[in-house]
Amino acid sequence: MRVSIDTEVCTGHGRCYALAPEVFESDDSGYGVVRRPDVPPELEAAARRAAGNCPERAILVTEDEEGG
Amino acid sequence: MSTSEASFSFETMLDPAFSRAPQPFYREMRDSTPVLRTELGLFGVDAAMVFLSRFEDIEWALRTPGVFSSAFGTGAEGLGNDRPLIPLQIDPPDHRRYRVLLDPLFAPREVSKLEADMVDLVNDLIDRFIERGECELNGEFAVPLPCTVFLKLLGLPMEDLDLFLRLKEGIIRAYGELDPEKAKQNRVAAGRECYEYFEKVLDEREEAPGDDLLSKLMAMEIEGERLSREEILDVCFLFMIAGLDTVTDSLTCFFAYLAQHPEHRQRLVDDPAVIPSAVEELLRWETPVPMVARVAKEDIEIRGCPVKKGDNVAVVLGSANTDERAIERSDEVDFDREDNRHYAFGGGIHRCLGSHLARVELRIALREWHRRIPEYHITDHVELNYAPLLRQVENLPVTFDRLAD
Repeated sequence: MRVSIDTEVCTGHGRCYALAPEVFESDDSGYGVVRRPDVPPELEAAARRAAGNCPERAILVTEDEEGG
Repeated sequence: MSTSEASFSFETMLDPAFSRAPQPFYREMRDSTPVLRTELGLFGVDAAMVFLSRFEDIEWALRTPGVFSSAFGTGAEGLGNDRPLIPLQIDPPDHRRYRVLLDPLFAPREVSKLEADMVDLVNDLIDRFIERGECELNGEFAVPLPCTVFLKLLGLPMEDLDLFLRLKEGIIRAYGELDPEKAKQNRVAAGRECYEYFEKVLDEREEAPGDDLLSKLMAMEIEGERLSREEILDVCFLFMIAGLDTVTDSLTCFFAYLAQHPEHRQRLVDDPAVIPSAVEELLRWETPVPMVARVAKEDIEIRGCPVKKGDNVAVVLGSANTDERAIERSDEVDFDREDNRHYAFGGGIHRCLGSHLARVELRIALREWHRRIPEYHITDHVELNYAPLLRQVENLPVTFDRLAD
């Protein structure tokens, strides 16, 4: 799984790094930054939850291809 | 529910029944008139007011500042402020310039420095009433907490608390005056006092800067330029109206809910780790700031309803947050909710600047309170009054059933 943040859309709600601190972190202004763009399996649930809680829908989650 | 297209109006929003439990009203609005045009607008001559109540429309409005402007609400139609509040009443592109400067001051990293102070402030307040076995939660807890946090943040003396509380009441609630003309006079007078107070403080900070937020704000530069005195005053004015009352509103809504839902309350006691997500869920369900306003910048049509340039648009956040079209089991308060994409802090470029500070205050308040006072109920036979527009429970007497050992 890969994650990215659309910085044009993010307005700094801060939900991503609160819910998945191993995957996202805050910059100095409180906006989300991706720490681990390639999300290991054990953090996938947290990353998905971060995306599902982003009010701006700024987090893009790309699931791995089958068998990939 | 008797609300119909004809009867739902701005007056409905002022109805105490609406403020007490707005969720059924929201549903009625979303189902019958998702875009409701009423004749009377608050801002501008001959303007109508259009209410948006569906999640999808609200999401779009919040993210489209080119159509839904925030640049209104000064002078006669405002809260006693002479100039636009920064950054709330500023549109792009200037808005960005201010947020770049202000966001770092309210970022989680900065806010976390205040956490230990906040824990102390919360416990000091609880110390004052815990032995009595009861308290009036609004006046003894929910009102003083955000104001004392604010004084700390700005490096102002705690003795100024009463002055602050008075000015806030004057600006936001016009000292309880309902007559529109007199209310306006009260707001302007309180606004004047607020400007004078901060003028004096800024003079002092110029002489002797500290490490408080105001000193930092005065020293910051954007493209080699510092903020002007007027700009800093306009930010201070916003702090007064946005940072104090809203946290009080949230605390009273939360505690009123918890006092009446023992199983939810018990969950916080048994499992304090759930508090951050409980805060999000209570923000969603209660939406203490139920709506935000915009002004249409052009003639448009939304779901077949005409919106004219200059019309006021009431973006009903509380309705978005309970819209079953976007949120599963939207009528259920579930602290374990997986996806909670709520707009209690608004959204788009005007996302509440103080949201990170508010969240920490709310979490600490819930955690410390339930650690010390795990069981309580609303004092018998008291009917709660919810203020209109900003949903504050004005009287919240609670009786403690059990204290922690």
